[in-house]
Amino acid sequence: MKKIFRMFCLSLLVLSFASFAYAQEEIKIGVIYPLTGPLASTGQVLLEGVKLAAEIVNGNYNLNMPLAKGEGLPKLKGAKIKIIPGDHQGKPEVGMAEAERLITQEKVVAILGCYNSSVTATASQATERYGIPFVNESSTSPTLTDRGFKWFFRTTPHDGLFSENFFMFLRDLSKKKKVGANTIALFAENTLFGSDSVKYQTKYAEKYGFKLVGTVLYPAKSTQLTSEVQKLKGMNPKVVMQTAYIADAILSMKTYRELNFAPEAILANDAGFIDPEFVKSLGKDANYILSREVWAKDLAKKKPMIKIVADMFEKRTGKHMDGTSSRAFTAMIVLADAINRAGSTEPAKIQEALLKTNIKADQLVMPWDGVKFDPKTHQNMLGKGIIVQVQNGEYVTVWPFNLATKQIVWPFPKWEGR
Amino acid sequence: MKKGLVILLVFFAALVIYPFIFKNPFPRHLLIMIMLYGTMGIGWNIIGGYAGQVSFGNAAFFGVGAYTTAILLSKYGINPWIGMLLGCFFSSLVAVIVGYPCFRLRGHYFAIATIAVGEIVQILFTNWEYAGAAVGIYIPILEESFFNFQFHTTKLPYYYIVLAMLAFALLVCYAVEKSRLGYYFRAIKDDPEGARSLGINIQNYKLVAFILSAILTSVCGTFYAMYVLYIHPANTIDLWLSIHLCIIALIGGLGKIFGPVIGAFIFIPLTEFTRVYLGSEGQGIDLIIYALIIILLATLRPQGLWGIFAKSSS
Repeated sequence: MKKIFRMFCLSLLVLSFASFAYAQEEIKIGVIYPLTGPLASTGQVLLEGVKLAAEIVNGNYNLNMPLAKGEGLPKLKGAKIKIIPGDHQGKPEVGMAEAERLITQEKVVAILGCYNSSVTATASQATERYGIPFVNESSTSPTLTDRGFKWFFRTTPHDGLFSENFFMFLRDLSKKKKVGANTIALFAENTLFGSDSVKYQTKYAEKYGFKLVGTVLYPAKSTQLTSEVQKLKGMNPKVVMQTAYIADAILSMKTYRELNFAPEAILANDAGFIDPEFVKSLGKDANYILSREVWAKDLAKKKPMIKIVADMFEKRTGKHMDGTSSRAFTAMIVLADAINRAGSTEPAKIQEALLKTNIKADQLVMPWDGVKFDPKTHQNMLGKGIIVQVQNGEYVTVWPFNLATKQIVWPFPKWEGR
Repeated sequence: MKKGLVILLVFFAALVIYPFIFKNPFPRHLLIMIMLYGTMGIGWNIIGGYAGQVSFGNAAFFGVGAYTTAILLSKYGINPWIGMLLGCFFSSLVAVIVGYPCFRLRGHYFAIATIAVGEIVQILFTNWEYAGAAVGIYIPILEESFFNFQFHTTKLPYYYIVLAMLAFALLVCYAVEKSRLGYYFRAIKDDPEGARSLGINIQNYKLVAFILSAILTSVCGTFYAMYVLYIHPANTIDLWLSIHLCIIALIGGLGKIFGPVIGAFIFIPLTEFTRVYLGSEGQGIDLIIYALIIILLATLRPQGLWGIFAKSSS
């Protein structure tokens, strides 16, 4: 028995130190996601989004997006993209090590990832050290692009921009409908998500000239929101801007109804309000809330390409495309486009090409105005969120108005007589 | 014993030479992680293995070490080596504050209390605006030097620093085992009433073990902060870290000097390689295999692997 164990342990050690390398034939791109651990299912969806984009680039598809037509990268003699996945398990030090491994052992020419802001933070430090381009698809912590890294690029809008969208929406709306939604109360849970949102909303309320009548924070996982909602009611705001996870989102809606609190608009910050459970458990009472979103299925009505890509995604994975996979998809297209324009796999040339990226709105599956990186921060300047409204139990896009599929219902109807 | 010493010297010589054979960052990173976890495992072993007080709160010390260094450096520009020492001080303080009331609890209840302590520390840091709250702290990038504890172009200095930490931890553990402390600790573990009847102040000696454990873990926290250059509460003060330390000590052999080192040498490569080779296609196969091996080890060799490697030297 002892012998077997000794052999077993030794073989483990030997296995540990075996290093490995591949010959470079294709264009290798490292993709680092949480493929195991608590975020595994999200990681898989992200990876599928990236894989679908690579498939479209490598194959011949009649779509109006960069590199879809014709196989591979034309400026690199039709070279194909090969994705080398790496798993970071949601841990920053693992993400860093994976980036280093992919760069030095797999010889990837660029890295894409990492979903979790904390992992993107450390993995991008590694790419910065090695001078390898890093394209981030969905980490929204604003700090990431504030670092001024040379090799780091972000396609998704960050939390600050998403918060600003609320006020752009209200401004657009007041121009269009002449509604004076000028007093705002903030209502949020008190962990990172809520408190950060409040910070940005306060900042932009001032910038856009809205009057903030009060802020109510409550502990996440509260089982009672009666006194908080009474406080809100006392402030008598026209708009409640709310940040909540699923349980408190549902609880707050029930409390609003109970206390008969109906401001002109409930403008929610993604998360709990777009969780599938939200409409399911509230039924009719979920109607007419407004929420920020990054992507919606009904965008396809205005941009038919979205339906084609979303259907391809569904066929591949059996899952609906969503804001996560569509952003991963887009980042891969942006990166492939830059490598093609660079006409080289040299990191410095790819970095230069990324800086010159200019993809138009109609070439994207996102509701953005395009992709163009800020020369200093490397944040995509044309990214944008959308506002959806629950109408008859469905989320429909109501802003930006050019992408809207339904008219917005404003104000939020009173509870009685619904 | 002489033979044991020879093996030890060969082992350390191999560790010193290793980075000259493996020049890629990944194998070096692997060894750095092994030695880091080995050091923390030794720290855990002092309280959990020798004194028999199972702690699931050691991640708190890791976090305090990491945060002390990171806060002092990013807010006041204080050298990380001083941060390391102050981190040890604050961790010891936490050990005393936590240990004093908790050591009145016995067996499982102490373990449960330490879970709570770890979680409380995590929640505190998640909500503490000054310490970066849930976003965490980006450690300012300084010029590469030993003085600054930062190296950007090579992992070699990190490697030797953590090797020195491991050697230091082994020395501390050796000193404990050979001194009166070691006997007290084991007496407390085996029969607290008996130990008390012989005049050992159980409370105080448990505290001493906890402080030693805290210091060794805190030093690792500082190292981690300076190695990764970014810390945040969800990862630096994580219950899983405490559990991993416990597993490492268990696999290697509880209450044996070298136990946690062997544990780390098995455990870390196992997690890293199952992840690298099997993890990237997802579906969690790597975790299944990993769990299987842990179960096998636990059932076939509950006393740990120590005996297999060292049957002749003890």
